[in-house]
Amino acid sequence: MTATEKLKKIYGERPKRTRELKEEGRKIAGYFCCFVPEEILSAFDLVPFRLQGNPKDPVDQADAFIEPMACPFARSCFNQALKGNYDFLDAFIAPHSCDTIDRLSNIWFHNRPVSFNHLLNVPHMRERGAEEFFRSELNYLVKCLEEWTGKKLVLEKLRETIRLSNKKRALLRNLYELRKKDPPPVSGAEMLEVLVAGMGIPVPEYVNLLTQYVEEVKSREVKSISLRPRLFLWGNAIDDSTFVQLVEHSGTWVVMDDLCTGSRSFWEDVPETSDPMEGLARRYLNVPCPRSNYPRTGHREVDLESRFGYVGAFVSSWKVGGAILYLIRYCDTCELEGPDLKDYLNKKGIPVLMLEDDYSLTTLGQLRTRVQAFVEMITGVV
Amino acid sequence: METKNQTKTTAVKGTLTAGMIRELVRNIYRSAHEAKAQGKKVAYFMVASQYDEIVRAMDIVPIPTENYAGLCAAKRDMERFLLRAEEDGYSQVLCSYARIGLGFDSLRKELGKIPENAPDGGMPEPDMMLGSSAVCDPRFKWYQAAGRYLNVPSYSIDVVAPPVQADLNEVRDYYIRYQTEQFRGLIAFLEEQTGKKLDEDRLWETIKLGDEAWRLWYEIDRLRVAVPCPMPTQDHFSIMVAGHYYCGTQVAVDFYRQLYEEVKSKVEEGQGVIPVEKYRLLYGGGLPPWHTLWIFNYFESFGAVFVIENVYRGYDPVEVPSYVKDPVEYLAWRAFLRFTQRHERARKNSGHPVVERLLQLIDDYKIDGVVFHACRSCRATTVGQIHIKNLLGRYTDIPMMQLVSDMVDLRDYSEAQWKAQIGGFIDALSARSKR
Repeated sequence: MTATEKLKKIYGERPKRTRELKEEGRKIAGYFCCFVPEEILSAFDLVPFRLQGNPKDPVDQADAFIEPMACPFARSCFNQALKGNYDFLDAFIAPHSCDTIDRLSNIWFHNRPVSFNHLLNVPHMRERGAEEFFRSELNYLVKCLEEWTGKKLVLEKLRETIRLSNKKRALLRNLYELRKKDPPPVSGAEMLEVLVAGMGIPVPEYVNLLTQYVEEVKSREVKSISLRPRLFLWGNAIDDSTFVQLVEHSGTWVVMDDLCTGSRSFWEDVPETSDPMEGLARRYLNVPCPRSNYPRTGHREVDLESRFGYVGAFVSSWKVGGAILYLIRYCDTCELEGPDLKDYLNKKGIPVLMLEDDYSLTTLGQLRTRVQAFVEMITGVV
Repeated sequence: METKNQTKTTAVKGTLTAGMIRELVRNIYRSAHEAKAQGKKVAYFMVASQYDEIVRAMDIVPIPTENYAGLCAAKRDMERFLLRAEEDGYSQVLCSYARIGLGFDSLRKELGKIPENAPDGGMPEPDMMLGSSAVCDPRFKWYQAAGRYLNVPSYSIDVVAPPVQADLNEVRDYYIRYQTEQFRGLIAFLEEQTGKKLDEDRLWETIKLGDEAWRLWYEIDRLRVAVPCPMPTQDHFSIMVAGHYYCGTQVAVDFYRQLYEEVKSKVEEGQGVIPVEKYRLLYGGGLPPWHTLWIFNYFESFGAVFVIENVYRGYDPVEVPSYVKDPVEYLAWRAFLRFTQRHERARKNSGHPVVERLLQLIDDYKIDGVVFHACRSCRATTVGQIHIKNLLGRYTDIPMMQLVSDMVDLRDYSEAQWKAQIGGFIDALSARSKR
């Protein structure tokens, strides 16, 4: 079986591979969002499992525990837990990434507690002691994990897991680089599936698969020059490829993204500092999620450049002709960020479609109509 | 959802002193306009950010933007601001306080002046915006977004609270250290904006005033354990203005002294809110329905009085160790102690500090039923209510109900649905009282 086929299988059958690992005696640590360092979990021999929802499975049990005006992605994740689909978890670590995840963590701890339950506080600010505070929070997480596992953290092992996770990031960036080609050798939907496949298996296993996969992608024959518009996708948790497929089936390529399941989760390496916790704190605190604050640096144009300059670099380097901002309803921080990012991209001449959705597949028909209209509109300008 | 034009939005108050609040609210915006005219600094600010006393000590006139949204709702003049924000691209489920604020700023920018007939003269353009992560995420993101309409500097601080599971002895030092640094960052920013240094003696003065106001407020709530109830929840939603919007001033202290005397005298005279108090209710949580505060009087028509609430006065007085001699460190300590005051008890019992507080209130105030208000656009005060209700149900069998609307957006409110739900709730209270 090729790495391409293996990754496709892991994605399609997820979390089967994680269950197998559990049966093999591995301990599984579930976590939300991009703020829990997988390196720390790996250093304790835990399998990091990024919690996912299931937009194909309606939320039918969570209503008895959590309000419908909470993030539908978070509700879907908890619904999966209530159904026993996360019964393989040994540890559950929730970062205080936003109001909903914070509130949900308490609901989860009470109603589906696992052996180790922990809330990691993550500062919203990035200055005036924020990095030091986050480092202390990470040290406290380590202390709690040491008590739970009965094992002391070995710093050299942590350095090793950092190097390995950085290698994973380099491989993923390499894949994203290949998508600069036109047409790209990897579709946006396939890329997302490859990323999600790696969210529930040990990092060494994923690195091996990715190493092979990159070679397979490089050897793919890229056919004639594409005339399809190249799109950039922005948002938070898209962990199912259906929406990206819809966008690409509308006659586009999704070539770049800023999603918390996409580039946001791996773009920056962890610096190899003498105290590894320092590098981890710096890197994870600076994940560019809308839940974090960028201090205002000047008038509006300067401020927007400071906040979205990296997006500007993405769209220019990947020769993007249009952007879709996919907002999951009830995400206040994304809903406040979206209009600013739209302004920023519009000023760069990038047409933007801002969608608000409820993390289910019931709205696909409406989404398709809007995406198709957008594609028709930009086809005339790209 | 049904929408119906109501001319009356406010509730009949139980105390005379609460009636003074209307003038204090008017004064917030009048003072801000006057300060602008005199060249003083005015700032958009977020209440309960634990920095109130710093802002007052720097002689900055605060404009509480969330309060303005509530005021617009009470005046039923919110639609034009909500719709404007939505027209500008903000979602209809985004925090409606933020939508009103952004819509107001957008209109003011377009018109080049305060929108016509804006409630209480409207909000003047601030010199700066002071956000915080206390309470919810939109409270710093909102001001970042407001940069679309306002070319003024903004500064936000983190306000951190450890989770209930945390070992306080392990985390206390670094939580307080970070909070202190965050306050110092704010002070440096304010010094830069105002061109003057913070006077530490002045800060101690505002802290003493802030603490005294909150102590008096606590004492007033303790008087409210009396049967019959001397001051109902609808009064609380007015009188919280002093504790939050005038924190760190003599105005708040004087106001609560006067209110204390009135409530005390009502208790001594056995004077209740309604002639026959059949059911004593607890407002379990959620922001108030500012658009429909008369609903509290509707409950009273069934003999049900809201005697206490779990919102706005979120913590009881705390004692900061006497060795803390620096006023900024004092504020950080105070915040930490406030946020963790029920952690230890929760760890031993329900595992949830809010549940602990509610159980205490149910016991102390002889509560017959609990009502929560879920707001469609407020994650911070809404998500978790069902969970709290579920946990409470493990310790008490009193009836509980969750009403759903929004704090200001009337489109999320249905009078018919609420009245039907309230009817059923009253039946449940009645059935239980006959047991």
